Amino acid sequence: MSVLKYFDLYFKLISAGVRAQLQYRFAFVMRIVGLITSYTGTAVTMWIMLYQFQELGSWTFYEMLFLFAVAVLSWGFCIILFFHFRGLDTYILNGTFDRFLVRPINPFFHFMAMKFDVASFGQFIFSIGIFIWVSFELQLDWTIGKSFFLLLSVVGGILIQGGLLVIISALAFWTTKSEQFYWVAMFPARNLTNYPLVIYPKAVQWFTAFVIPFGFVNYFPAAVLLEKETPFFPENIGYYSPLVGIVFFAIAYYIWMLGLKRYKSTGS
Amino acid sequence: MPIIEVEHLMKDFMIAKRETGFLGAVKSLVKREHIKKEAVKDISFSIKEGEMVGYIGPNGAGKSTTIKMLTGILVPSSGSVKVNGIIPYENRQENAKNIGVVFGQRTQLWWDLPTIESFELLKEIYQVSDKRFKENMDTFTEILGLDEFLNTPVRQLSLGQRMRADIAASLLHDPQILFLDEPTIGLDVVAKEKMRTFIKEINNERKITVILTTHDMEDIEKLCERMILIDHGQKVYDGEIAVVKERFGKTRTLIVDLEESPHNLQLKGGEAFKEEASRFWIRFNRDEVSASELIAQITQTHNIKDLTVEEPAIESIISRIYQEGYQDLPEIVKV
Amino acid sequence: MFRFRLYWTFTKKAFLRSAVYRFDVWSRLGSNLIFLLMWGSIWTALYAGREEAGGVSFESMLTYIVVSQFLSGVNGAGTPLWEIQEKVRTGDISLELMRPFDVPLRYLFADFGSVAFYILTALLPLYTVMFIFMDLTLPSAWETWILFIVSAFIGFLIRYCIEMAFGLLSFFLVETGGIVDVFYFAMSLLSGSVIPLWFFPGWLEKMALYLPFQGIYYIPNAIFIGKISGTEILLSLGVQLFWAAASYLLLRFVWNHASQKIVVQGG
Ligand SMILES: Nc1ncnc2c1ncn2[C@@H]1O[C@H](COP(=O)(O)OP(=O)(O)OP(=O)(O)O)[C@@H](O)[C@H]1O
Ligand SMILES: [Mg+2]
Repeated sequence: MSVLKYFDLYFKLISAGVRAQLQYRFAFVMRIVGLITSYTGTAVTMWIMLYQFQELGSWTFYEMLFLFAVAVLSWGFCIILFFHFRGLDTYILNGTFDRFLVRPINPFFHFMAMKFDVASFGQFIFSIGIFIWVSFELQLDWTIGKSFFLLLSVVGGILIQGGLLVIISALAFWTTKSEQFYWVAMFPARNLTNYPLVIYPKAVQWFTAFVIPFGFVNYFPAAVLLEKETPFFPENIGYYSPLVGIVFFAIAYYIWMLGLKRYKSTGS
Repeated sequence: MPIIEVEHLMKDFMIAKRETGFLGAVKSLVKREHIKKEAVKDISFSIKEGEMVGYIGPNGAGKSTTIKMLTGILVPSSGSVKVNGIIPYENRQENAKNIGVVFGQRTQLWWDLPTIESFELLKEIYQVSDKRFKENMDTFTEILGLDEFLNTPVRQLSLGQRMRADIAASLLHDPQILFLDEPTIGLDVVAKEKMRTFIKEINNERKITVILTTHDMEDIEKLCERMILIDHGQKVYDGEIAVVKERFGKTRTLIVDLEESPHNLQLKGGEAFKEEASRFWIRFNRDEVSASELIAQITQTHNIKDLTVEEPAIESIISRIYQEGYQDLPEIVKV
Repeated sequence: MFRFRLYWTFTKKAFLRSAVYRFDVWSRLGSNLIFLLMWGSIWTALYAGREEAGGVSFESMLTYIVVSQFLSGVNGAGTPLWEIQEKVRTGDISLELMRPFDVPLRYLFADFGSVAFYILTALLPLYTVMFIFMDLTLPSAWETWILFIVSAFIGFLIRYCIEMAFGLLSFFLVETGGIVDVFYFAMSLLSGSVIPLWFFPGWLEKMALYLPFQGIYYIPNAIFIGKISGTEILLSLGVQLFWAAASYLLLRFVWNHASQKIVVQGG
């Protein structure tokens, strides 16, 4: 099937998914409200923290908000595209995963197009609101170049976080568990990166830069945009964000396919 | 030219020794202790275009595993599979275009969407032309009565409706081969009958090759001329159903109601294997003794109130075979 | 009559069951550690080398955070909120209404079992090691230890009642997403679990002091590091007891309405 045909198919599959989700309209609205509430909660926590202390590892409140908003924005897209990957274990356990293998299309693509969680409007409303507010407060000068860079690093962030979700889901092919790995590893790790990495021990910083490259989701790009230093790391390392995203996602895809191969020989 | 060719097919599963807990899960990432389970052991058969074959066997025999290898979901441990000239596990997507699959136990439709939308999505996935889609939908709607629930979300369908929708969905792209893994499971008598009629019809009119697994022998009796019987992953019979019936059908059961209830009933050529109040079930071989001879024997000592002679259905034949072993089966195919 | 023996069985059963679900135990401990790392680093960076801030030494502050993470491990080891909601949705809870015991109490006692298992096998060993190897301040008087344990226990009860009450809201609402998020927000911020109340802006501190959440983390933590001492402790315990009673009444209120609803409408 041609790439164009795949795009067309993706669009059709996800719009079906959206219609399915919108059947539960009240739940949908409540989720958006809930998401905005909890992100606001984190922002308020940051505010109180810096109410007394002014700075966290040389980052001010508004800079931290900005850092946070970059993470929320790419996570929002990530939820739309990849969040359901964490539930792959359930599909395998109750046998519904087989359906992706009896159809004449790429199973990764098919699984990816299975859901499209539009409740992440919550993330968009929140992060865009924050961007506007912070831009005023810090008098950020949004040149075309900078906007374009933000866009690219959000893409990088989506690929990195999406890639991790894909890897976590692939674990289900080996261990029959994935959802739990999300809650043990990725959820706390995402919380960790809401704050500037510079405050963490060096080993942790190193890990989040080069093993699971969460640093490239928000810390490095935000440092570039806000012209802040990133001690222990080369200056402007943030420019590599999109590239890191592509590489990491490619690795994740490869691991997933490896897992699928294993599934096809073990059936579970 | 056979459309499906299976030779010396094997599938082993490595069943991990159950390790619970986090450490177990982490440990199992590195190293696992396994027990080998041979789900399919050396099965060979070939199926001609347009045939309808019943693939039967007791629970855990390896039916679903075979179907999964034929559809490309599983890779065989050894042996060869060819479906329409394609090796399914190597060319899964190509193979998928030629086949339709229904797993009776679980739906392949979009759970939360109105049924019609699942059909429309499958149309896109299989790239069915508008014209063909419409023709097929019209036909299926007419035979299966889909219109009564086309706008209902799949999750609200009754089991019978869901199964009808599922089988229609599997045929939208005009596959040449249809795999049905327990297509009548959980259906009521009328729904089963409708399902059978439909399967028969598409096999007759569209010349679709059908492989069907089921635990309902009536499905087999009404639909298939040929059956492949497997157990513990091995083929124990492959041939006409009529032959099995002929062989085992020689055993008849005579049921008599007597006026009094004697302690036991000794008959030449017949064996009373069950009794209840004054009713007796007598098994006999048609070749050795006739029913009227038996009746004559009984009337010498007792008064018969009522009687019937039962021919065994394939159902009871198979259940006897499952229980008593396969040594009496005609022409056991050893490959 | 309170049949302690019966409820004790639930405790024992839950304790033994936890051993089977070891994956859960370790995964909880893993994420607990990551959060400890996060908050420890944040407070280290906030103090930025200062000896003290807001009248509290850095060492005490770090102790506060470690104790707080310990308690959040304890509080997180019971039946989680989503599981209560799931039980409501699937009707498990409704079925239990037919059984001869009180459902909220049954879950409380079961939680005692799983929490005890988690504390003994995971939290205690880990945090003991942490207290040995890190520069943290331990209370010197044994009375303080006792008071801390009592206070932490009351805090556990307050949290249980409030969380259960929120969970039971699923009986009345199809989707509780937004409300649950408010609950989590209050649980993490207003309880003082990550920022002690004395660092709050005045108005917010006042607000937090009038709410039950401070009884869950703030009071036991503050007792542990000696921020609250002397007769103040008794006063704080009194406040906690008041909130424990109040949240128990809230839970009773919600539960009565919920069970009414099950009886009348079949769930
Ligand atoms: N993914 C798997 N991993 C390990 N063992 C499996 C797996 N799938 C099937 N088995 C085992 O292989 C054997 C054959 O299973 P299969 O599902 O093919 O049986 P079946 O004939 O379809 O039975 P049923 O009539 O109950 O559906 C069983 O013993 C089963 O436990
Ligand atoms: Mg089966």
